[in-house]
Amino acid sequence: MVKQPSNHRIPFGVATSGFSRRDVLRRGAGLTFGLSGAAAIGGSLLPGEALAAGLVNIEVDAGQNENPFRWNAEAMKSKFGADINMIGLPFVGQYEKLVSELTARSSAYDLLVFPPYFMGDFVALGFLKELDPYFSLLDPKIDDDYIPVYKDPVIKRNGKTYALMYDGDMLQVAYRKDLFDDPTEQKNFKAKYGWDLAPPTTWDQYMQISEFFTRPPNLYGTAFYAARGFCYAWFVNIFAGMGGRWFTEDMKPGINSEAGVKALEMLVKMKDYAVPNILQVDYPALNEVFLNGSTAMVIQWNDLALKVANPKMSKIVGKGAYAPVPVRTYLPYSRVMAVSAFAKNPQDAYRVASYMQQPDVCITYVYDSNCGQDPYRWSSLKPEAAMKDHTGGPSLDAADAKSYVDAIREGLKAGYPELAIPGAPRYLDILDLYVSQALAGLKPKAALDGAAREWASLTEAYDPGQQKAAYEAWVKSFKDVGVSY
Amino acid sequence: MTSASFSIPAVPRRGDASRRFGWLMVAPCLAMLAANSIFPLIYVMTVAFQNYQILIPAPHRFVGLRNFEKAFSDPLFWSSLGVTCWFIAGVVLLQFPVGFGLAVLLNRLRRHQEALATALLVPTIISTSVAAFQWVQLFNYQFGPLNYLLGLMHLPQPTWTANPALALPCLIFVDFWQWTPFMTLLMFAGLRSLPRTIVDAARVDGSTGWQVVWRIYLPLLKPVIGIAIILRILMAFKLFDIIYVLTNGGPGTATENLAFFTYVQGFVYFNMGYAAALSLLQLIVVIILAKALISLTGRAGAVAAKE
Repeated sequence: MVKQPSNHRIPFGVATSGFSRRDVLRRGAGLTFGLSGAAAIGGSLLPGEALAAGLVNIEVDAGQNENPFRWNAEAMKSKFGADINMIGLPFVGQYEKLVSELTARSSAYDLLVFPPYFMGDFVALGFLKELDPYFSLLDPKIDDDYIPVYKDPVIKRNGKTYALMYDGDMLQVAYRKDLFDDPTEQKNFKAKYGWDLAPPTTWDQYMQISEFFTRPPNLYGTAFYAARGFCYAWFVNIFAGMGGRWFTEDMKPGINSEAGVKALEMLVKMKDYAVPNILQVDYPALNEVFLNGSTAMVIQWNDLALKVANPKMSKIVGKGAYAPVPVRTYLPYSRVMAVSAFAKNPQDAYRVASYMQQPDVCITYVYDSNCGQDPYRWSSLKPEAAMKDHTGGPSLDAADAKSYVDAIREGLKAGYPELAIPGAPRYLDILDLYVSQALAGLKPKAALDGAAREWASLTEAYDPGQQKAAYEAWVKSFKDVGVSY
Repeated sequence: MTSASFSIPAVPRRGDASRRFGWLMVAPCLAMLAANSIFPLIYVMTVAFQNYQILIPAPHRFVGLRNFEKAFSDPLFWSSLGVTCWFIAGVVLLQFPVGFGLAVLLNRLRRHQEALATALLVPTIISTSVAAFQWVQLFNYQFGPLNYLLGLMHLPQPTWTANPALALPCLIFVDFWQWTPFMTLLMFAGLRSLPRTIVDAARVDGSTGWQVVWRIYLPLLKPVIGIAIILRILMAFKLFDIIYVLTNGGPGTATENLAFFTYVQGFVYFNMGYAAALSLLQLIVVIILAKALISLTGRAGAVAAKE
């Protein structure tokens, strides 16, 4: 019998002469090991790892908030040789994605950009590196220049630094000065409500102004973030002004107090003076309804002012003016930069973070309409700084810059901190769900009682004593820097 | 005389090399099945009886039926179950008659049947999330083409998915748009498999079109109809992507069905014990539903065969 040449054998063919089952198994095993070996080698050649020296993978909510890193990429490359790779995550859903990946000890990110209310969980779960040992690499200049409310209460936990600031958020009233300054409007307003039309300093005034300017279909009094995700912040804004507190002294939920119910009733009533699709209005939509001239007044994160001045984004250039939120200014969101505990390149990640918040760097991007960053250092809080974008080109005009910076300074005096204890993202999401239910028709009292019930059960799950201690420490950190609570 | 000799191949005995080889060949499949289906199921069953919450650094304890008790006393569970039932009812009640009607019309065409059937399938083959994004644009209150057209006709412009009363009907409509062609295709395939002679005989006997549909098509298609309805109910029961993109469960919880509610508990709140219990409850409901429908279909098929 002539043996079939080996090159004529059919790979994996069954019962071909000269090709035994043992051959199949041997070759199969060889192929399996070969493939897995190749995969392992390929795995180690993934871009992130192969270029680990100098490459910093930065996680940030996708979109405009990536821009400041890009604008400074070349400078960082030349100063300390770090390349950056931006990885954008969705704004709503960022927490879930990060927790899923960090729980699995993913090293996909070196530098994490997230809102401080994640800090309680992230520190407790060991997701972040302590930054103090890295300070010698590049002095972060955490001194008196840091606005106190964004300093220790936000970037530190248990006396250790875990993050550096990237964005100092607050809510702010933006209103149409062309309407507010119009003599006819002023006369009619005075005749109807008995006081002079001016930016509101109480919530009753806010409601009256909103009602006055509600002239559908072309003009509405106000708009607010009413979509699921962050509608809770617009409730807390009113709740804070009515004397509400997150928790009582014995760690019972404070949201369903009399102040809470009154605040939510007011927010629900505010829908009557808002654009018709208010329940769909999220951050971009809220910008849009003010920028296209549909509303006389909105409450929005403070970077809206910069967009009003940009003719590419706004139909109301030169018509915007700014004031602090009535009574108390809620400080929702903000952004910090922290080094992942599983970072492949923690040193460069720290250098990038430290560089980005240097006084002479952050002042260039906190007044640019193409990003969402806001001031967190006193040295940035100057009207002349607000007149330039990151290229040195024009941003706000002198009058708007003064109005904007003054509103921020006034807002800071009455700042109301966002909850940032362990479990904060879940407490806030539960609140958000029930506020959105109230906006969709559920009675405010029933909604807040539902949220309070879930808050109590969450506190119970975490351990009430531990949560109480964390809450007290968090409140103390604000009181220590002069924020009343 | 030469005696012929035969060799009879030995019957493989248990433990023989070839038998072992057979097991070796199916072993990867069995391992995959165990890893992907059996292990997760056992794991879910275990977690459902624990207080496992990823974000709470506390030991996981056995809590008995507490997660199930929580579900039954949770108003959000009941509201999500309500949304699920309304959605299924809306979807099936709309899609079956329209799908069947379109299939009958398609079946009556003498030409271009295949081309039309293919064209009808376009919504079904579009990725669900892409389709949902498209409907986000269409339902946009301010810039959406729907409201633009209504405005041109001086008709009221609804806020569609921003309106708690309209959001669920909007979802039902999107599902109707996407999956009715699938129903049509199944019915059309069923109609084409029916013996032509029965219909011809009925026509000779003077049956009207309506009588043919009512007395011949519907009884003979009962098994196909049953399968189609089971498939649609199961797909509607676990709907997630359209809700996630189009309404995110809102306004409030107006469009939060059981699948979405379970996702929120598991992957937003990381409350794994509760989410596992909810998944098991859904599994039980789906099994009961499928079993009941399959029995009904089987009985209907038997009756149709007898007739």
